[in-house]
Amino acid sequence: MIVSRLIARLQRYEGWFGVAAGLLIMVGLYMGLVTSSPDYYQGEVVRIMYIHVPAAQSAMFAYTVLFGGSVWYLWKRDPIVDNMSHAAAGIGVFFTLVALITGSIWAKPTWNTWWTWDPRLISFAIMLLILVGYLMLRTFLEDKEKEATYAAIIAIIGFVDLPIIHFSVEWWRTLHQPLSISTRGVSIARDMLIPLLLMSVGFYLLFAYMLMVRTQMLYLQHLLEAKRGRMLSKVHL
Amino acid sequence: MKWFYIRWGGVLIVAATIGIFGIQRYNRDVTAISPDRLLREQPTQMVRVLGMVEAGSVIKEAEGKPIGFQLSGEGAKIGVQYQGEEAENLRDLKTVVVVGKWNSTTQTFESEKLALVPNYGFVTAAYLISLLPMGLFLFNMERKVALLYILIKEEKVYQPEQLAEEQLERR
Repeated sequence: MIVSRLIARLQRYEGWFGVAAGLLIMVGLYMGLVTSSPDYYQGEVVRIMYIHVPAAQSAMFAYTVLFGGSVWYLWKRDPIVDNMSHAAAGIGVFFTLVALITGSIWAKPTWNTWWTWDPRLISFAIMLLILVGYLMLRTFLEDKEKEATYAAIIAIIGFVDLPIIHFSVEWWRTLHQPLSISTRGVSIARDMLIPLLLMSVGFYLLFAYMLMVRTQMLYLQHLLEAKRGRMLSKVHL
Repeated sequence: MKWFYIRWGGVLIVAATIGIFGIQRYNRDVTAISPDRLLREQPTQMVRVLGMVEAGSVIKEAEGKPIGFQLSGEGAKIGVQYQGEEAENLRDLKTVVVVGKWNSTTQTFESEKLALVPNYGFVTAAYLISLLPMGLFLFNMERKVALLYILIKEEKVYQPEQLAEEQLERR
């Protein structure tokens, strides 16, 4: 199967993804925390952006991978792709939590509140709930094939939240600032944009690396269970 | 597993080194003292003092001349002579950081730079809360993969559950 072969091929370069992510994040952190200038209005607090924005982008990317994997699984019934989707959901929960917590820390000195019922924040929190629900469903069901199918359906339905997250700041003008990089142009200073881009690319690579490690982990878990003769299902053999 | 721990040991050393540099930089360039501490310690080197501009204390004599004002904090007040760029932030009741040297003969703080309150506590918290769990999450996953490989290697032959139970009963 095409995707399985692609995953296997990418897996060979796993280490390179990790190294590249580490280097880009280190350079991005240095530029973001040391060389970039503070914001005119927010002062030094703006430096939270260099971790908050890439974490949020990676969380959304994780969900996109989960969505793509789920569609592919329902179509081709490829168990490796199901493992990959399962792995993406776990990592997605992690990045969503990081984005929500860092966003909350950023909100306190800028908006004077830890949390507000802003559409961007609500839609992002809903994504966390969908991902947690997805993972919970995967632990409840005994039948592996049913588990994979139902989980894929939930992931596909939940994808509707992603465009809402992305366009929420355009549709509802509330506290959350609008997009800094959009079709209208770039409204961010160059010395802030470069570390932000470095961190974003670094986080995407880190996500790819984590995805490879976690997919491998889930696959090996199933393999071990199958080897021990406890869970010989059609899905994982 | 040996290489796994060596690799992560290396990551830990790099992280600890960066952390030490970060703390040094914080102590050198970011941390600020109060006017009360400045009066107690009377430092001779360049320091950053955090305090509030006293209401009605800002005196600007002429263009190019230093701006004088009173900075208060933690029950103490100091006189500041500011010679830097004219800043919008220099106004009554504004909390600012003044960078400069304490002149013990004139009992004034001579400053050439004015900064906003850095709020570095929020920045540090955001980075620590993100990066530490990220490292732990990755470490845990990689460790599990390494352990699973060992376990799979140890499981030499496939034995159906029923067969294994029968063998156990026979024993």
